[in-house]
Amino acid sequence: MFIKGVGMTEFGIQEAATSHLVYEATLEALNNADMSMDDIDAIVVSSIEIMSNGERQKHSGSVISSLFHIKAPILSVPAGCAGGGTALWTANRLQKTSNYKNVLVIGFEKMISNTSKNLTDEILMGGERIYEQSEGLIFPAQNALVAQQYMLKYGATTDDFALVAYKNHQNAFLNPKARFYKKEVTLKQIKNSPVVASPLRLFDCSISCNGAAALILSKDKSSVEIVGSAEENDCLSTFERDEMTSFWVTKKASEIAYKEAGITPADIDIAEIHDAFTPVELISYEDLGFCRKGEGKEMIRKGITNIDGKLPVNTSGGLKAKGHPISATGVSQIYEIVKQMRNEAGDRQVEKPKYGLALNIGGVGSTATVHILKNLN
Amino acid sequence: MIIRWVCEKCSKKWIYPIEKCVYCKGDITKQKGTKLKVVGITKVTIQSPMHPIVPYNILLLQDEFGNRVPRKTMEDCKIGDNFILQKARTKDAVSVVKIKYDIYEAIKESIELLNGIELSANDKILVKPSIITAAYPYQAVNTNPDFLNALLTVLFELGVKKENVIVAEQALIGSDAMDAASKSGILEICKKNGVEFADISKGPFEEVESDGLKFKIFKEALNRKIINVPIMKTNFQLGISGAMENLSRLADEKTQRDMYFDNIDVTLPQLAKLLPDVFTIADASNGMQGQGPLALGEPAFLNLVLASRNPANLDAVFCEAAMLKVPSYIQEAKKIEVVGNEIEALKYPIKQPISDATPHPDIKVIDGKACPACLNLMNNLASKLVGLRGRQLSIVMGSMLTEGMLERKERLVALGECAIKKLSELKIKPIAKIDENIDEVEQLVLLKKLLVTEGTPRITHVDKVKSKMKKLLSKVIG
Repeated sequence: MFIKGVGMTEFGIQEAATSHLVYEATLEALNNADMSMDDIDAIVVSSIEIMSNGERQKHSGSVISSLFHIKAPILSVPAGCAGGGTALWTANRLQKTSNYKNVLVIGFEKMISNTSKNLTDEILMGGERIYEQSEGLIFPAQNALVAQQYMLKYGATTDDFALVAYKNHQNAFLNPKARFYKKEVTLKQIKNSPVVASPLRLFDCSISCNGAAALILSKDKSSVEIVGSAEENDCLSTFERDEMTSFWVTKKASEIAYKEAGITPADIDIAEIHDAFTPVELISYEDLGFCRKGEGKEMIRKGITNIDGKLPVNTSGGLKAKGHPISATGVSQIYEIVKQMRNEAGDRQVEKPKYGLALNIGGVGSTATVHILKNLN
Repeated sequence: MIIRWVCEKCSKKWIYPIEKCVYCKGDITKQKGTKLKVVGITKVTIQSPMHPIVPYNILLLQDEFGNRVPRKTMEDCKIGDNFILQKARTKDAVSVVKIKYDIYEAIKESIELLNGIELSANDKILVKPSIITAAYPYQAVNTNPDFLNALLTVLFELGVKKENVIVAEQALIGSDAMDAASKSGILEICKKNGVEFADISKGPFEEVESDGLKFKIFKEALNRKIINVPIMKTNFQLGISGAMENLSRLADEKTQRDMYFDNIDVTLPQLAKLLPDVFTIADASNGMQGQGPLALGEPAFLNLVLASRNPANLDAVFCEAAMLKVPSYIQEAKKIEVVGNEIEALKYPIKQPISDATPHPDIKVIDGKACPACLNLMNNLASKLVGLRGRQLSIVMGSMLTEGMLERKERLVALGECAIKKLSELKIKPIAKIDENIDEVEQLVLLKKLLVTEGTPRITHVDKVKSKMKKLLSKVIG
């Protein structure tokens, strides 16, 4: 399958209604593909339908039908933070097994409309209710426990985490759609930011925001092809798993996607990785096979994943600094890779990537999608 | 303790209670880890509605089987520390246990933390759940049947004989106990476990005296060990309906009315003194928040079990944990020993009851400790008029009214004999009096007129005829 068009809103704190965010991203994707809504045969949409934003709007599929006056199959596939990737994975399979020529994939979320306390509480609902929610294991704390185990086992330091944040902020500085576009963040600021859940500081955490992203998946050839696609799930809670410092879902999904694409990790030229918390980016380097277990820290220390490094990671700014509107994230990762492959990434353009990889994670390693894109130009 | 449900055949583990392995269909056994070590720790500094007090720590605990769980604590620990839960050192301690998918284990742990319960095979037991009105279990109005079922299992395992147990309760004044027991699912649990359900309102009662006050108490309650099993609820009048309030329904109807008339804050502790052999195991698996069971209260989903030999202490600890005002009938809430969980780590503000609120925005209430019958009536009347906005009025109820409570209050409506009498004593003239014994339709018509008209409207003959016709019509249709 081929990606014909991509679109996304700015990731920010705009007050536009959710429907308008969806409209804006979709219109850009349609224009980008030189298509109209008449060309769309089916839609796959993902959102966790945030309650605290005051819109009280459920049943996204029909809302989208209403918004675009489209009478077609519309599937809703919420999957926590992996919603966008899961929507793409679903669309890809749907298209392969049907006569749908063009499938529109949308991810959206309006998160910033209420106090951060209420938002934290709503996001906590994505955690296991009896052990995690009732014990106050908010997502930063879940990731903090993972980070601590990782540090104890492999000798990574909080300075390594800071380097991840710094790299991604530098990239976001160059991305006009990023929440931190043209906002300078120094390494000192990152290292001195307040502790949220030890050992994680504020700047180790991704930034919640509003946004939508859309793409059109087509049977018609374009310059970007999806050559690998996988989705995997594991237990919701990290404490249930034998291994906390590695995410089985990432390893398994990437293994399947590499196999489908007929490539190895060494072939990847650019990656968008789910850096919801900075240690997750390091763990993902390892789980995706970019380095051996425990060597993630070396990759960031040596600048391998910097924008001018051998394997640029999160040129968009990542969830850390581009922003993380939950279900829009996975689709926005594809937006970035497509832009890079088409040489349309402006100031953050890397040198002609052939293979790009997007890793979208839900929970703390409970869901993962891996998509491998090939530049046909 | 860490619990996992493990397949005997293929050794797969679950954090959820299951009966059969979904892979090999093998039998499941519980794996209980008791030797716990701290293997991870994080200090959280950001607030969330469920966890408003920061900073707090979350420990990652690991047992001898390698199973792990997170646990919130306000105490500082370090990796490598052993984690041991201390048992109670004092008789009046309160244990608080979080239910980890398994009510039975939580009840057992709550008792063990208090160093067990003094029961022998020949002990006669009265289990006193809270079943105040006919409501389904999910409404969190009555003690949950699953909770009672788990408790009876624990009691039988402790050697108590089925034939020596009765489950006894009476519904609130005006409600039928058997209807309530049936709808709440309690009756079915009694049948399933082969224990008798007794309607306390049928008696017999025995008069006993405490500090000069006379109480007519259900005779069986005086002859048996009492296992008090309240559901923990907010209550706009008392603050909460918990361990202490549940005991009040061991008295006959007149005594209950008198207890409110004579000031429930004083009479409730006096009643409790008459019942020294009470062990409370409170159901806060759901619990209730807001105005309470009769006035749009809602489930609180607390997921807790509390236990104590001292019902007042238990109520106080619950109020501290739920961040509610400690009721006036509790004297010293600060010195209570709490085991199982730290109060500071449990604190989570559930919806408070508002003392002057009714279901209707224009109808306020001034409560002089009215009895449940008048409370029930007030809530029923106010809720039926919700769509009708009008001039604000205050319904005055109960015998414990004071001049101070009524100062600068306008448009007072006296409801019930106690309030009518008390206002007359205080020489305060209400704009209307609602007799608790007249027809409900007439009561409603009067309240409606008071809400929408000026002055002091009265029930007319036409209203009375209309009321009778309406009643007749509803009977015909019904």
